[in-house]
Amino acid sequence: MSVAGNKRRLQTTQGFYRNYVKKFYDDAHRAKKEKKPVAWVASTFPIEMLQAMEVTPVWPENYASVCAARQVSLRLCEAAERAGFSKDLCSYARCVLGSIFEEKDLPEGGLPKPDFLVASTGACDTHFKWFQVASRRLNRPLFLLDIPYDTTGAQAPEDYQVKHYVTQLDELISFLEGQIGKQFDMNRLRTVERLSDRTSKLWMEIQDCRKAVPAPMNARDAFSTVFFMLCIPGSEISIKFYEKLRDELKERVKDGVGAIEDEKHRVIWDNLPMWFNLRFFNHLNSLGAVIVAETFSHVWAGDLNPSKPLESLAKKYLPNFANAVAERRINLILRLIREWRVDGVILPTNWGCRMMSIGMTLLKKVIRKELGVPSLILNIDSTDWRNYNEAHVKTEIEAFIEMLRRKG
Amino acid sequence: MEALDELRNLFSARHDIVRDWKRQGKHVVGWASTYTPEEILYAASILPMRILGSPETAKLAHAYCPDNMCSFCRSCFDVALKGDYDYLDGFVTSASCDNREKMYDLWRHHVEIPYFYFINTPHTNTNTAHEFFYDELVRFRESLEKAFRTPISDQSLRKAVRIYNENRVLLKKLYNLRRKDPPLISGREALETVLSSMLTPKEVHSRLLTQLLKEIPQRDDPPTKGVRLLISGSVMDDAGLLEIVEATGGSVVADDLSTGSRYFWNSVDPTAESPLFAIARRYLDRVPCPFMGQSEDRFRHVQDMVKRYDVEGVIIFVLRFCDPHLFDAPLLKAELESSGLPVLYLEWEHAMTGFAQLRTRIEAFLEMIRGVG
Repeated sequence: MSVAGNKRRLQTTQGFYRNYVKKFYDDAHRAKKEKKPVAWVASTFPIEMLQAMEVTPVWPENYASVCAARQVSLRLCEAAERAGFSKDLCSYARCVLGSIFEEKDLPEGGLPKPDFLVASTGACDTHFKWFQVASRRLNRPLFLLDIPYDTTGAQAPEDYQVKHYVTQLDELISFLEGQIGKQFDMNRLRTVERLSDRTSKLWMEIQDCRKAVPAPMNARDAFSTVFFMLCIPGSEISIKFYEKLRDELKERVKDGVGAIEDEKHRVIWDNLPMWFNLRFFNHLNSLGAVIVAETFSHVWAGDLNPSKPLESLAKKYLPNFANAVAERRINLILRLIREWRVDGVILPTNWGCRMMSIGMTLLKKVIRKELGVPSLILNIDSTDWRNYNEAHVKTEIEAFIEMLRRKG
Repeated sequence: MEALDELRNLFSARHDIVRDWKRQGKHVVGWASTYTPEEILYAASILPMRILGSPETAKLAHAYCPDNMCSFCRSCFDVALKGDYDYLDGFVTSASCDNREKMYDLWRHHVEIPYFYFINTPHTNTNTAHEFFYDELVRFRESLEKAFRTPISDQSLRKAVRIYNENRVLLKKLYNLRRKDPPLISGREALETVLSSMLTPKEVHSRLLTQLLKEIPQRDDPPTKGVRLLISGSVMDDAGLLEIVEATGGSVVADDLSTGSRYFWNSVDPTAESPLFAIARRYLDRVPCPFMGQSEDRFRHVQDMVKRYDVEGVIIFVLRFCDPHLFDAPLLKAELESSGLPVLYLEWEHAMTGFAQLRTRIEAFLEMIRGVG
């Protein structure tokens, strides 16, 4: 039966959670059991450095999204609140801290305890503080990578910033060598970077496929498969999976098959989804709207040049749209609107996140002024559903899509 | 207590006083974080002035600001939207919390000020961070020299350091008067004195402080007699909360606030070969705000103050949505309690109304301490 907005499921992404995410956590627990080093890694940290040292990196941020999808994040957030952490703090942070305080019945057996933690200020100060608290509670050392705020939004970072970053990577090497008790192998880093570079390029090819009308992939698949970019960028498995996904999407584009039947509206989703309610995107689909780009899918890729391994990590990770003036984010969204042929933008805020909440009005205003494209600011949260009023949000979404329809 | 009245007036009439200053053809730059090295501005003959909010409820800012953000930042922005900061020649902020970083966008896009600058403050005080921050301050100095067409020599920096250090020492002397029992100045008076220091040319402020230090010992009646308290928290630009504490039977004798001791506790090394490097060091090594990595240094500062000022209880007043403090607060609370000190944790919002609930909790806390004593 052909109904407008009906979803067409991709083959490649079937069983993604079980085959890749669950397996990832199982492997991490196994590594821990075999006494191999495990580290907790914060967003925007150059994971390649850990992969080069054969450290198993686990990403607490991803774990929070897993807990949300499994509907246990609220229980963990509340555990953190009982330990004195405010309800207004980042729900990712509360959820993961909660999993330290309350170890019972955790998805995938919880996060394996780290041998050490590595954090960066590259996404926000909250990440750093959250890891600091975790490091104290777990009594494990923390390495901090201090990332200057991008005050211009320029395409490439300035030389002095690159230099500063590389100096800190040298300090990281000493830290890792001290923690693990073996020498850092620059050649191994080069190999990891080659894999990571390939992974990034494939991921961007996947995003490019979504420029097609109708778009072959929806937000839900993007938000699950971005996993490799975040958690294990420098690995064969990422490349194999992305190649398969890209091929399927290319096939769809060739045949003119979209992610939904009868695509009417092409929409950008800025930043994080409600991990606890990914079905929400089905509702958008039923209104004939497809998310063709998420800013979140466009901020993790970066070229790496293995002949300059440290410098190229600096150049990959320094530009980040959260740790930058609004211009960087605005320019990204404007480019996505133009190239992905978008007619509306959804700007979700996040109760515990200043980076995703302050300045949305500015984004909305500039997007309207520059390209005449309307935006909707949605007050939600990624992980804590107490900050989500479904009836209210649905009404807002319906009114927004209705406005897009009339605008035609 | 003439000096005290004058200091209070500097605070409440600040916009008018600054407009007078401007009429003499001088520049004023507003700063939004205590990690702004004011000495550099001062050395360029610019009046550095702390951006503060207003005790009124923010109205205009609501069109731009979400509910889930720092109400102090919102209030400051509201004051700017109203036009009360229309005299500013510049606005300087720093990488010292997520709220402030994002508000930099809104200020730049919605408030007309000729000069904006963002200082990249590292979040640690490692050697690498010191080197980076020094370079960052070199860039800041160059930027000011260009924008205000004033050379900033090492000599003028040294002079600024001397003048700023003098004020810091005087403020410390003032705090010493709180060690007495009962303290010779109230928490409200101390807070207003520090706030006025952030708004006034430092020589003027130091002159008044010197006078105040002479006047206070002649006070007949101690301003407060109550349970000796330390207040810990982020920013406080309205003494209303401290008034409640002191009207309820507390004496605020010490603080760990960015508008209190953290602002002036540490001096710049006046003998250093490079004044700019000494300034960079001072700002990274000072008693830190919690966005910095070395929270232990702040906790130690609180513990030291507890001893030095014979503190009987601590109130942690955390401004809602001030994430770095919200993360630190449970750790600080646990640490103080484990050393046997009663701690009350309260969240508040800038320019909030309805203090009844806060008052009840403070009363109960003070009664508990008195009962224990």
